[in-house]
Amino acid sequence: MSPGLKLEGVGFAYDTTQVLQDINVTIPEGQFVSLLGASGSGKTTLLRLAAGLDPVDSGRLTWNGAPIVGPSLERGVVFQDYALFPWLSVVDNVEIAIAKAKPTVRKAERLAEAARYLGGLGLGAAIGKYPGELSGGMRQRAAIARALALGSPLLLMDEPFGALDPVNRARLQDLLLEVWEVATPRKTIIFVTHDVDEAIYLGDRLVVLGSSPGRVIADLEVPLQRPRERRSLLDSHSLHALREQVSATLVQDTLQRLKAA
Amino acid sequence: MSDFIALVELQVPAAVPAASAEPGLAPGWLGRALESVVVWIVLLLAWWVASVHLPLGDNPLLPSPLITARALWESLPELWAGTLSSLTILIPGFALATLLGIVSGLTVGTSARLQRIFLPFAKVAGPVPPTVYIPYAIAILPTFKLSAIFVVFIGAFWPIFQNAVAGAHALGQRYRDNARILGLTRFEYQRRVVFPAALPHIFTGMAVGLAFSFILLTVAELFGANAGLGRFVQYYADFADYPKMVAGILYTGLVTFLAMTILDGVRRRSLFWLK
Repeated sequence: MSPGLKLEGVGFAYDTTQVLQDINVTIPEGQFVSLLGASGSGKTTLLRLAAGLDPVDSGRLTWNGAPIVGPSLERGVVFQDYALFPWLSVVDNVEIAIAKAKPTVRKAERLAEAARYLGGLGLGAAIGKYPGELSGGMRQRAAIARALALGSPLLLMDEPFGALDPVNRARLQDLLLEVWEVATPRKTIIFVTHDVDEAIYLGDRLVVLGSSPGRVIADLEVPLQRPRERRSLLDSHSLHALREQVSATLVQDTLQRLKAA
Repeated sequence: MSDFIALVELQVPAAVPAASAEPGLAPGWLGRALESVVVWIVLLLAWWVASVHLPLGDNPLLPSPLITARALWESLPELWAGTLSSLTILIPGFALATLLGIVSGLTVGTSARLQRIFLPFAKVAGPVPPTVYIPYAIAILPTFKLSAIFVVFIGAFWPIFQNAVAGAHALGQRYRDNARILGLTRFEYQRRVVFPAALPHIFTGMAVGLAFSFILLTVAELFGANAGLGRFVQYYADFADYPKMVAGILYTGLVTFLAMTILDGVRRRSLFWLK
Protein backbone atom coordinates (compact mmCIF):
# COMPACT_ATOMS: atom_id res chain seq x y z
CA MET A 1 0.00 0.00 0.00
CA SER A 2 1.46 3.28 -1.10
CA PRO A 3 0.25 6.40 0.72
CA GLY A 4 -1.10 9.36 -1.18
CA LEU A 5 -2.77 9.73 -4.55
CA LYS A 6 -1.46 7.59 -7.40
CA LEU A 7 -2.38 7.90 -11.07
CA GLU A 8 -1.06 5.10 -13.27
CA GLY A 9 -1.72 5.45 -17.00
CA VAL A 10 -4.99 7.26 -16.31
CA GLY A 11 -7.06 8.17 -19.37
CA PHE A 12 -10.49 9.70 -19.84
CA ALA A 13 -12.54 10.29 -22.98
CA TYR A 14 -15.61 12.44 -23.41
CA ASP A 15 -17.60 11.01 -26.32
CA THR A 16 -14.86 10.58 -28.94
CA THR A 17 -12.54 13.27 -27.55
CA GLN A 18 -9.58 12.01 -25.56
CA VAL A 19 -9.51 14.47 -22.66
CA LEU A 20 -6.74 12.85 -20.63
CA GLN A 21 -4.14 10.38 -21.85
CA ASP A 22 -1.69 8.23 -19.94
CA ILE A 23 -1.34 10.37 -16.84
CA ASN A 24 1.29 9.06 -14.43
CA VAL A 25 1.66 11.05 -11.24
CA THR A 26 2.22 10.07 -7.63
CA ILE A 27 1.36 12.63 -4.98
CA PRO A 28 2.58 11.76 -1.47
CA GLU A 29 0.47 12.63 1.55
CA GLY A 30 0.87 16.17 2.84
CA GLN A 31 2.08 17.61 -0.45
CA PHE A 32 0.63 20.78 -1.95
CA VAL A 33 0.49 20.26 -5.70
CA SER A 34 -0.42 23.02 -8.14
CA LEU A 35 -1.98 21.64 -11.29
CA LEU A 36 -1.37 24.03 -14.18
CA GLY A 37 -2.48 24.04 -17.78
CA ALA A 38 -4.25 25.97 -20.49
CA SER A 39 -8.03 25.82 -20.61
CA GLY A 40 -9.12 22.58 -22.20
CA SER A 41 -6.13 20.65 -20.89
CA GLY A 42 -8.30 18.49 -18.67
CA LYS A 43 -7.34 19.97 -15.29
CA THR A 44 -10.91 19.98 -14.05
CA THR A 45 -11.51 16.50 -15.47
CA LEU A 46 -8.48 15.21 -13.59
CA LEU A 47 -9.84 16.71 -10.38
CA ARG A 48 -13.27 15.19 -10.95
CA LEU A 49 -11.67 11.78 -11.44
CA ALA A 50 -9.71 12.17 -8.20
CA ALA A 51 -12.92 13.23 -6.42
CA GLY A 52 -14.69 10.15 -7.74
CA LEU A 53 -17.34 12.23 -9.53
CA ASP A 54 -16.46 10.54 -12.85
CA PRO A 55 -14.93 7.08 -13.35
CA VAL A 56 -11.59 6.66 -15.16
CA ASP A 57 -11.76 5.09 -18.62
CA SER A 58 -8.33 3.49 -18.48
CA GLY A 59 -5.47 3.09 -16.04
CA ARG A 60 -5.54 3.01 -12.26
CA LEU A 61 -6.38 5.76 -9.81
CA THR A 62 -5.83 5.01 -6.14
CA TRP A 63 -5.94 6.90 -2.86
CA ASN A 64 -3.80 5.28 -0.16
CA GLY A 65 -3.76 2.10 -2.21
CA ALA A 66 -7.53 1.79 -2.66
CA PRO A 67 -9.08 2.39 -6.10
CA ILE A 68 -11.30 5.49 -6.29
CA VAL A 69 -14.77 4.35 -7.34
CA GLY A 70 -16.95 7.20 -6.14
CA PRO A 71 -17.05 10.33 -3.97
CA SER A 72 -15.93 9.89 -0.39
CA LEU A 73 -15.48 12.06 2.67
CA GLU A 74 -11.77 11.24 2.35
CA ARG A 75 -11.63 13.73 -0.50
CA GLY A 76 -13.11 17.20 -0.13
CA VAL A 77 -13.68 19.45 -3.13
CA VAL A 78 -13.83 23.23 -3.50
CA PHE A 79 -15.28 24.36 -6.81
CA GLN A 80 -14.61 27.59 -8.65
CA ASP A 81 -18.25 28.67 -8.53
CA TYR A 82 -18.61 28.43 -4.74
CA ALA A 83 -21.43 25.89 -4.95
CA LEU A 84 -22.74 26.63 -1.49
CA PHE A 85 -26.44 25.90 -1.21
CA PRO A 86 -28.03 29.37 -1.49
CA TRP A 87 -31.11 28.31 0.51
CA LEU A 88 -29.01 27.44 3.57
CA SER A 89 -27.32 30.02 5.79
CA VAL A 90 -23.54 29.96 5.76
CA VAL A 91 -23.35 28.14 9.09
CA ASP A 92 -25.91 25.55 7.92
CA ASN A 93 -23.88 25.02 4.76
CA VAL A 94 -20.93 24.03 6.92
CA GLU A 95 -23.03 22.13 9.45
CA ILE A 96 -24.41 19.85 6.75
CA ALA A 97 -20.82 18.77 6.03
CA ILE A 98 -20.07 18.15 9.69
CA ALA A 99 -23.32 16.19 10.02
CA LYS A 100 -22.03 13.78 7.37
CA ALA A 101 -18.47 13.65 8.69
CA LYS A 102 -19.47 13.21 12.35
CA PRO A 103 -23.02 11.83 12.44
CA THR A 104 -22.91 11.08 16.16
CA VAL A 105 -22.19 14.66 17.25
CA ARG A 106 -25.24 16.58 18.47
CA LYS A 107 -26.68 19.36 16.33
CA ALA A 108 -25.81 22.16 18.78
CA GLU A 109 -22.18 21.03 18.85
CA ARG A 110 -22.10 20.71 15.07
CA LEU A 111 -23.30 24.28 14.74
CA ALA A 112 -20.69 25.46 17.23
CA GLU A 113 -17.99 23.61 15.30
CA ALA A 114 -19.22 25.10 12.02
CA ALA A 115 -19.04 28.55 13.60
CA ARG A 116 -15.43 27.82 14.68
CA TYR A 117 -14.41 26.87 11.14
CA LEU A 118 -16.06 29.99 9.75
CA GLY A 119 -14.45 32.14 12.42
CA GLY A 120 -11.06 30.70 11.47
CA LEU A 121 -11.61 31.94 7.94
CA GLY A 122 -12.67 35.39 9.06
CA LEU A 123 -16.40 34.86 8.64
CA GLY A 124 -17.34 34.95 12.31
CA ALA A 125 -19.68 37.88 11.82
CA ALA A 126 -21.38 36.40 8.75
CA ILE A 127 -22.39 32.93 9.95
CA GLY A 128 -26.12 33.70 9.90
CA LYS A 129 -26.03 35.23 6.43
CA TYR A 130 -27.08 33.55 3.20
CA PRO A 131 -24.64 33.03 0.31
CA GLY A 132 -26.55 35.54 -1.83
CA GLU A 133 -25.78 38.25 0.74
CA LEU A 134 -22.02 37.66 0.62
CA SER A 135 -19.27 38.87 -1.69
CA GLY A 136 -17.46 36.38 -3.92
CA GLY A 137 -14.48 36.28 -1.59
CA MET A 138 -16.63 35.60 1.47
CA ARG A 139 -18.51 32.86 -0.34
CA GLN A 140 -15.27 31.20 -1.28
CA ARG A 141 -14.08 31.38 2.33
CA ALA A 142 -17.27 29.65 3.35
CA ALA A 143 -16.74 26.99 0.67
CA ILE A 144 -13.24 26.37 2.01
CA ALA A 145 -14.58 26.22 5.56
CA ARG A 146 -17.05 23.57 4.43
CA ALA A 147 -14.35 21.52 2.70
CA LEU A 148 -12.17 21.74 5.84
CA ALA A 149 -15.12 20.78 8.02
CA LEU A 150 -15.47 17.52 6.10
CA GLY A 151 -12.09 16.66 7.64
CA SER A 152 -10.86 15.14 4.38
CA PRO A 153 -7.12 14.37 4.28
CA LEU A 154 -7.16 15.16 0.54
CA LEU A 155 -8.44 18.53 -0.65
CA LEU A 156 -9.18 19.06 -4.33
CA MET A 157 -9.51 22.70 -5.32
CA ASP A 158 -10.68 23.71 -8.79
CA GLU A 159 -9.60 27.30 -9.47
CA PRO A 160 -11.15 28.32 -6.16
CA PHE A 161 -9.92 31.91 -6.44
CA GLY A 162 -10.46 32.25 -10.19
CA ALA A 163 -13.39 34.63 -9.89
CA LEU A 164 -11.87 36.94 -7.27
CA ASP A 165 -10.27 40.34 -7.62
CA PRO A 166 -6.46 40.46 -7.12
CA VAL A 167 -6.56 41.77 -3.55
CA ASN A 168 -9.04 39.20 -2.32
CA ARG A 169 -7.19 36.59 -4.25
CA ALA A 170 -3.89 37.29 -2.52
CA ARG A 171 -5.61 37.44 0.84
CA LEU A 172 -7.25 34.05 0.35
CA GLN A 173 -4.00 32.51 -0.94
CA ASP A 174 -2.29 33.56 2.29
CA LEU A 175 -5.22 32.33 4.35
CA LEU A 176 -5.16 28.96 2.63
CA LEU A 177 -1.41 28.54 3.23
CA GLU A 178 -1.83 29.58 6.84
CA VAL A 179 -4.59 27.05 7.44
CA TRP A 180 -2.68 24.34 5.62
CA GLU A 181 0.68 24.96 7.32
CA VAL A 182 -0.59 24.87 10.91
CA ALA A 183 -2.51 21.61 10.54
CA THR A 184 -0.88 18.35 11.63
CA PRO A 185 -0.75 16.15 9.71
CA ARG A 186 -0.85 18.45 6.72
CA LYS A 187 -3.56 17.84 4.18
CA THR A 188 -2.71 16.76 0.68
CA ILE A 189 -3.91 19.47 -1.69
CA ILE A 190 -4.32 19.47 -5.44
CA PHE A 191 -4.88 23.05 -6.49
CA VAL A 192 -5.99 23.65 -10.08
CA THR A 193 -5.16 27.05 -11.55
CA HIS A 194 -4.13 28.62 -14.79
CA ASP A 195 -2.25 31.40 -13.03
CA VAL A 196 1.48 30.57 -13.02
CA ASP A 197 2.31 32.92 -10.12
CA GLU A 198 -0.45 31.51 -7.98
CA ALA A 199 0.70 27.97 -8.76
CA ILE A 200 4.27 28.74 -7.71
CA TYR A 201 3.38 30.78 -4.63
CA LEU A 202 1.15 28.06 -3.21
CA GLY A 203 2.63 24.76 -4.33
CA ASP A 204 5.43 22.43 -3.28
CA ARG A 205 5.32 21.09 -6.78
CA LEU A 206 3.95 22.04 -10.18
CA VAL A 207 2.34 19.52 -12.46
CA VAL A 208 1.77 21.08 -15.88
CA LEU A 209 -0.76 19.61 -18.30
CA GLY A 210 -0.57 20.05 -22.06
CA SER A 211 -3.72 20.01 -24.11
CA SER A 212 -5.39 17.85 -26.77
CA PRO A 213 -5.15 15.34 -25.27
CA GLY A 214 -4.35 16.35 -21.70
CA ARG A 215 -1.04 14.85 -20.59
CA VAL A 216 1.75 15.79 -18.19
CA ILE A 217 4.31 17.99 -19.96
CA ALA A 218 6.24 19.15 -16.91
CA ASP A 219 6.57 18.08 -13.29
CA LEU A 220 8.71 20.45 -11.21
CA GLU A 221 9.64 21.00 -7.58
CA VAL A 222 9.14 24.53 -6.25
CA PRO A 223 12.47 25.39 -4.54
CA LEU A 224 11.03 28.00 -2.19
CA GLN A 225 11.18 27.91 1.63
CA ARG A 226 8.05 27.96 3.75
CA PRO A 227 6.51 29.98 5.26
CA ARG A 228 6.60 32.05 2.12
CA GLU A 229 6.76 35.79 2.17
CA ARG A 230 4.97 37.34 -0.77
CA ARG A 231 7.01 40.54 -0.77
CA SER A 232 10.46 38.96 -0.74
CA LEU A 233 9.40 36.32 -3.26
CA LEU A 234 8.82 39.05 -5.82
CA ASP A 235 12.60 39.55 -6.06
CA SER A 236 13.51 35.89 -5.77
CA HIS A 237 15.65 34.61 -8.62
CA SER A 238 14.36 31.05 -8.38
CA LEU A 239 10.77 32.26 -8.68
CA HIS A 240 11.56 34.15 -11.86
CA ALA A 241 13.47 31.24 -13.35
CA LEU A 242 10.65 28.84 -12.56
CA ARG A 243 8.02 31.17 -13.94
CA GLU A 244 9.98 31.54 -17.17
CA GLN A 245 10.37 27.79 -17.49
CA VAL A 246 6.68 27.05 -16.91
CA SER A 247 5.49 29.84 -19.17
CA ALA A 248 7.81 28.64 -21.94
CA THR A 249 6.49 25.11 -21.57
CA LEU A 250 2.90 26.32 -21.82
CA VAL A 251 3.61 28.53 -24.82
CA GLN A 252 5.40 25.71 -26.59
CA ASP A 253 2.43 23.40 -25.99
CA THR A 254 0.06 25.99 -27.42
CA LEU A 255 2.23 26.49 -30.49
CA GLN A 256 2.39 22.75 -31.10
CA ARG A 257 -1.36 22.50 -30.84
CA LEU A 258 -1.85 25.36 -33.30
CA LYS A 259 0.58 23.74 -35.73
CA ALA A 260 -1.28 20.45 -35.49
CA ALA A 261 -4.63 22.09 -36.14
CA MET B 1 -50.13 25.59 -20.47
CA SER B 2 -47.21 27.94 -20.77
CA ASP B 3 -49.50 30.78 -21.77
CA PHE B 4 -51.51 30.12 -18.71
CA ILE B 5 -48.44 30.18 -16.52
CA ALA B 6 -47.46 33.46 -18.07
CA LEU B 7 -50.92 34.77 -17.33
CA VAL B 8 -50.81 33.72 -13.71
CA GLU B 9 -47.27 34.97 -13.26
CA LEU B 10 -48.24 38.30 -14.71
CA GLN B 11 -47.94 40.70 -11.84
CA VAL B 12 -47.92 44.42 -11.50
CA PRO B 13 -44.21 45.13 -11.70
CA ALA B 14 -43.44 47.01 -8.50
CA ALA B 15 -41.13 49.72 -9.71
CA VAL B 16 -41.09 49.41 -13.48
CA PRO B 17 -38.38 51.50 -15.08
CA ALA B 18 -41.24 53.20 -16.87
CA ALA B 19 -40.24 56.38 -15.10
CA SER B 20 -36.98 56.35 -17.00
CA ALA B 21 -38.81 55.75 -20.27
CA GLU B 22 -40.83 58.88 -19.63
CA PRO B 23 -38.25 61.49 -18.85
CA GLY B 24 -39.15 64.49 -16.77
CA LEU B 25 -41.66 63.95 -14.01
CA ALA B 26 -41.50 60.65 -12.19
CA PRO B 27 -44.82 60.21 -10.37
CA GLY B 28 -44.74 60.49 -6.59
CA TRP B 29 -46.37 57.93 -4.31
CA LEU B 30 -49.73 59.65 -4.65
CA GLY B 31 -49.49 59.60 -8.43
CA ARG B 32 -48.56 55.94 -8.41
CA ALA B 33 -51.46 55.12 -6.08
CA LEU B 34 -53.80 56.90 -8.48
CA GLU B 35 -52.38 55.02 -11.46
CA SER B 36 -53.02 51.70 -9.80
CA VAL B 37 -56.74 52.44 -9.23
CA VAL B 38 -57.52 54.35 -12.41
CA VAL B 39 -59.02 51.31 -14.18
CA TRP B 40 -61.27 50.67 -11.19
CA ILE B 41 -62.51 54.23 -11.11
CA VAL B 42 -63.23 54.31 -14.86
CA LEU B 43 -65.07 50.98 -14.76
CA LEU B 44 -67.08 51.97 -11.72
CA LEU B 45 -68.10 55.27 -13.34
CA ALA B 46 -69.03 53.53 -16.61
CA TRP B 47 -71.07 50.98 -14.65
CA TRP B 48 -72.85 53.69 -12.71
CA VAL B 49 -73.57 55.81 -15.81
CA ALA B 50 -74.81 52.79 -17.76
CA SER B 51 -77.12 51.58 -14.99
CA VAL B 52 -78.63 55.03 -14.44
CA HIS B 53 -79.01 56.22 -18.00
CA LEU B 54 -79.61 53.12 -20.11
CA PRO B 55 -83.22 51.89 -20.36
CA LEU B 56 -82.62 48.43 -18.93
CA GLY B 57 -86.06 47.71 -17.49
CA ASP B 58 -87.35 47.02 -13.98
CA ASN B 59 -85.02 44.16 -13.14
CA PRO B 60 -81.92 45.08 -15.11
CA LEU B 61 -79.20 42.55 -15.83
CA LEU B 62 -76.91 45.39 -14.85
CA PRO B 63 -78.04 46.57 -11.41
CA SER B 64 -76.59 49.89 -10.30
CA PRO B 65 -73.49 49.88 -8.06
CA LEU B 66 -75.54 51.06 -5.09
CA ILE B 67 -78.15 48.33 -5.40
CA THR B 68 -75.36 45.76 -5.85
CA ALA B 69 -73.55 47.07 -2.81
CA ARG B 70 -76.73 46.76 -0.75
CA ALA B 71 -77.26 43.23 -2.05
CA LEU B 72 -73.66 42.39 -1.16
CA TRP B 73 -74.12 43.74 2.37
CA GLU B 74 -77.34 41.80 2.88
CA SER B 75 -75.79 38.61 1.50
CA LEU B 76 -72.61 38.75 3.54
CA PRO B 77 -73.69 36.13 6.10
CA GLU B 78 -74.81 33.81 3.33
CA LEU B 79 -71.66 34.48 1.31
CA TRP B 80 -69.50 33.82 4.37
CA ALA B 81 -71.23 30.50 4.94
CA GLY B 82 -70.73 29.78 1.24
CA THR B 83 -67.03 30.64 1.55
CA LEU B 84 -66.60 28.20 4.43
CA SER B 85 -68.40 25.52 2.46
CA SER B 86 -66.22 26.15 -0.59
CA LEU B 87 -63.05 26.12 1.47
CA THR B 88 -63.86 22.66 2.83
CA ILE B 89 -63.57 21.54 -0.80
CA LEU B 90 -60.76 23.77 -1.96
CA ILE B 91 -58.32 23.32 0.93
CA PRO B 92 -58.28 19.50 1.07
CA GLY B 93 -58.15 19.21 -2.71
CA PHE B 94 -55.41 21.78 -3.18
CA ALA B 95 -53.39 20.62 -0.16
CA LEU B 96 -53.47 17.00 -1.33
CA ALA B 97 -52.49 18.08 -4.86
CA THR B 98 -49.59 20.14 -3.48
CA LEU B 99 -48.31 17.34 -1.27
CA LEU B 100 -48.59 14.56 -3.84
CA GLY B 101 -47.57 16.82 -6.72
CA ILE B 102 -44.33 17.83 -5.01
CA VAL B 103 -43.40 14.39 -3.68
CA SER B 104 -44.14 12.54 -6.91
CA GLY B 105 -42.80 15.32 -9.13
CA LEU B 106 -39.45 15.45 -7.35
CA THR B 107 -39.21 11.66 -7.17
CA VAL B 108 -39.90 11.27 -10.88
CA GLY B 109 -37.81 14.31 -11.80
CA THR B 110 -34.66 12.88 -10.21
CA SER B 111 -34.91 9.41 -11.73
CA ALA B 112 -34.36 8.74 -15.42
CA ARG B 113 -36.18 5.40 -15.18
CA LEU B 114 -39.26 6.84 -13.43
CA GLN B 115 -39.36 9.53 -16.09
CA ARG B 116 -39.40 6.91 -18.84
CA ILE B 117 -42.23 5.16 -17.04
CA PHE B 118 -44.43 8.08 -16.00
CA LEU B 119 -43.83 11.02 -18.31
CA PRO B 120 -45.48 9.49 -21.41
CA PHE B 121 -48.60 8.95 -19.30
CA ALA B 122 -48.41 12.43 -17.76
CA LYS B 123 -48.13 13.94 -21.21
CA VAL B 124 -51.50 12.48 -22.16
CA ALA B 125 -53.33 12.71 -18.84
CA GLY B 126 -52.08 16.16 -17.82
CA PRO B 127 -53.69 18.30 -20.54
CA VAL B 128 -57.15 16.71 -20.22
CA PRO B 129 -59.45 19.55 -19.09
CA PRO B 130 -60.35 18.49 -15.56
CA THR B 131 -63.90 19.81 -15.95
CA VAL B 132 -64.77 16.74 -18.03
CA TYR B 133 -64.28 14.56 -14.94
CA ILE B 134 -66.95 16.38 -12.96
CA PRO B 135 -70.10 14.47 -13.99
CA TYR B 136 -68.29 11.16 -13.73
CA ALA B 137 -66.79 12.01 -10.34
CA ILE B 138 -70.23 12.99 -9.05
CA ALA B 139 -71.70 9.73 -10.32
CA ILE B 140 -68.92 7.55 -8.95
CA LEU B 141 -68.13 9.04 -5.54
CA PRO B 142 -70.62 8.72 -2.65
CA THR B 143 -70.97 12.43 -1.79
CA PHE B 144 -70.86 15.65 -3.77
CA LYS B 145 -68.16 17.00 -1.46
CA LEU B 146 -65.85 14.07 -2.17
CA SER B 147 -66.29 14.35 -5.91
CA ALA B 148 -65.65 18.10 -5.85
CA ILE B 149 -62.49 17.59 -3.74
CA PHE B 150 -61.38 14.97 -6.22
CA VAL B 151 -61.88 17.26 -9.21
CA VAL B 152 -60.07 20.17 -7.52
CA PHE B 153 -57.26 17.74 -6.69
CA ILE B 154 -56.93 16.55 -10.30
CA GLY B 155 -56.94 20.11 -11.62
CA ALA B 156 -54.27 21.35 -9.21
CA PHE B 157 -52.16 18.18 -9.28
CA TRP B 158 -50.89 18.23 -12.86
CA PRO B 159 -49.46 21.74 -12.96
CA ILE B 160 -47.74 21.20 -9.62
CA PHE B 161 -46.44 17.79 -10.66
CA GLN B 162 -45.15 19.04 -14.00
CA ASN B 163 -43.45 22.06 -12.49
CA ALA B 164 -41.88 19.95 -9.73
CA VAL B 165 -40.48 17.62 -12.42
CA ALA B 166 -39.16 20.63 -14.32
CA GLY B 167 -37.65 22.06 -11.14
CA ALA B 168 -35.89 18.81 -10.28
CA HIS B 169 -34.68 18.69 -13.88
CA ALA B 170 -33.28 22.21 -13.77
CA LEU B 171 -31.11 21.39 -10.73
CA GLY B 172 -27.58 22.60 -11.48
CA GLN B 173 -24.77 20.11 -11.96
CA ARG B 174 -22.80 21.80 -9.20
CA TYR B 175 -25.48 21.15 -6.61
CA ARG B 176 -25.61 17.52 -7.66
CA ASP B 177 -21.82 17.24 -7.44
CA ASN B 178 -21.88 18.92 -4.07
CA ALA B 179 -24.49 16.55 -2.72
CA ARG B 180 -22.42 13.60 -3.92
CA ILE B 181 -19.25 14.93 -2.35
CA LEU B 182 -21.04 15.49 0.95
CA GLY B 183 -22.34 11.93 0.68
CA LEU B 184 -26.00 12.85 1.16
CA THR B 185 -28.44 9.95 1.21
CA ARG B 186 -31.20 9.92 -1.38
CA PHE B 187 -33.72 11.25 1.12
CA GLU B 188 -31.40 14.01 2.40
CA TYR B 189 -30.65 14.91 -1.20
CA GLN B 190 -34.35 15.22 -1.99
CA ARG B 191 -35.21 17.17 1.15
CA ARG B 192 -32.24 19.51 1.49
CA VAL B 193 -31.13 20.00 -2.12
CA VAL B 194 -33.71 19.09 -4.77
CA PHE B 195 -36.76 20.41 -2.94
CA PRO B 196 -35.42 23.90 -2.12
CA ALA B 197 -33.79 24.19 -5.55
CA ALA B 198 -37.08 23.31 -7.23
CA LEU B 199 -39.17 25.64 -5.04
CA PRO B 200 -39.35 28.50 -7.58
CA HIS B 201 -40.79 26.07 -10.13
CA ILE B 202 -43.06 24.50 -7.54
CA PHE B 203 -44.56 27.87 -6.60
CA THR B 204 -45.27 28.58 -10.25
CA GLY B 205 -47.10 25.26 -10.43
CA MET B 206 -48.98 26.03 -7.22
CA ALA B 207 -50.13 29.40 -8.57
CA VAL B 208 -51.49 27.74 -11.71
CA GLY B 209 -52.95 24.94 -9.60
CA LEU B 210 -54.68 27.38 -7.25
CA ALA B 211 -56.25 29.30 -10.14
CA PHE B 212 -57.44 25.97 -11.60
CA SER B 213 -58.79 24.98 -8.19
CA PHE B 214 -61.07 28.00 -8.06
CA ILE B 215 -62.32 27.40 -11.59
CA LEU B 216 -63.05 23.76 -10.87
CA LEU B 217 -64.54 24.49 -7.48
CA THR B 218 -67.09 26.95 -8.83
CA VAL B 219 -67.88 24.82 -11.86
CA ALA B 220 -68.35 21.73 -9.68
CA GLU B 221 -70.66 23.67 -7.39
CA LEU B 222 -72.90 24.50 -10.35
CA PHE B 223 -73.55 20.76 -10.69
CA GLY B 224 -74.72 19.64 -7.32
CA ALA B 225 -73.75 21.74 -4.33
CA ASN B 226 -76.24 23.04 -1.79
CA ALA B 227 -73.84 25.77 -0.60
CA GLY B 228 -70.74 27.53 -1.81
CA LEU B 229 -69.59 30.47 -3.91
CA GLY B 230 -70.36 29.03 -7.35
CA ARG B 231 -73.64 27.73 -6.03
CA PHE B 232 -74.57 31.19 -4.69
CA VAL B 233 -74.15 32.82 -8.10
CA GLN B 234 -76.04 30.06 -9.92
CA TYR B 235 -78.87 30.04 -7.35
CA TYR B 236 -79.65 33.76 -7.62
CA ALA B 237 -79.24 33.71 -11.39
CA ASP B 238 -81.95 31.05 -11.48
CA PHE B 239 -84.22 33.43 -9.53
CA ALA B 240 -83.21 36.38 -11.74
CA ASP B 241 -81.94 38.17 -8.61
CA TYR B 242 -79.23 39.99 -10.53
CA PRO B 243 -78.05 42.31 -7.73
CA LYS B 244 -77.18 39.27 -5.59
CA MET B 245 -75.73 37.44 -8.56
CA VAL B 246 -73.39 40.33 -9.40
CA ALA B 247 -72.54 40.70 -5.71
CA GLY B 248 -71.64 37.00 -5.67
CA ILE B 249 -69.38 37.41 -8.70
CA LEU B 250 -67.56 40.36 -7.15
CA TYR B 251 -67.22 38.54 -3.82
CA THR B 252 -65.83 35.40 -5.49
CA GLY B 253 -63.32 37.53 -7.36
CA LEU B 254 -62.21 39.06 -4.08
CA VAL B 255 -61.80 35.66 -2.38
CA THR B 256 -59.75 34.36 -5.33
CA PHE B 257 -57.58 37.44 -5.26
CA LEU B 258 -56.99 37.05 -1.53
CA ALA B 259 -56.03 33.39 -1.93
CA MET B 260 -53.57 34.19 -4.70
CA THR B 261 -52.12 37.03 -2.62
CA ILE B 262 -51.60 34.73 0.35
CA LEU B 263 -49.84 32.18 -1.87
CA ASP B 264 -47.64 34.90 -3.32
CA GLY B 265 -46.74 36.07 0.19
CA VAL B 266 -45.74 32.52 1.15
CA ARG B 267 -43.69 32.31 -2.05
CA ARG B 268 -41.83 35.52 -1.27
CA ARG B 269 -41.07 34.42 2.26
CA SER B 270 -39.87 30.98 1.16
CA LEU B 271 -37.70 32.24 -1.67
CA PHE B 272 -36.01 35.05 0.22
CA TRP B 273 -32.63 33.52 -0.67
CA LEU B 274 -33.28 33.81 -4.39
CA LYS B 275 -31.19 36.45 -6.08
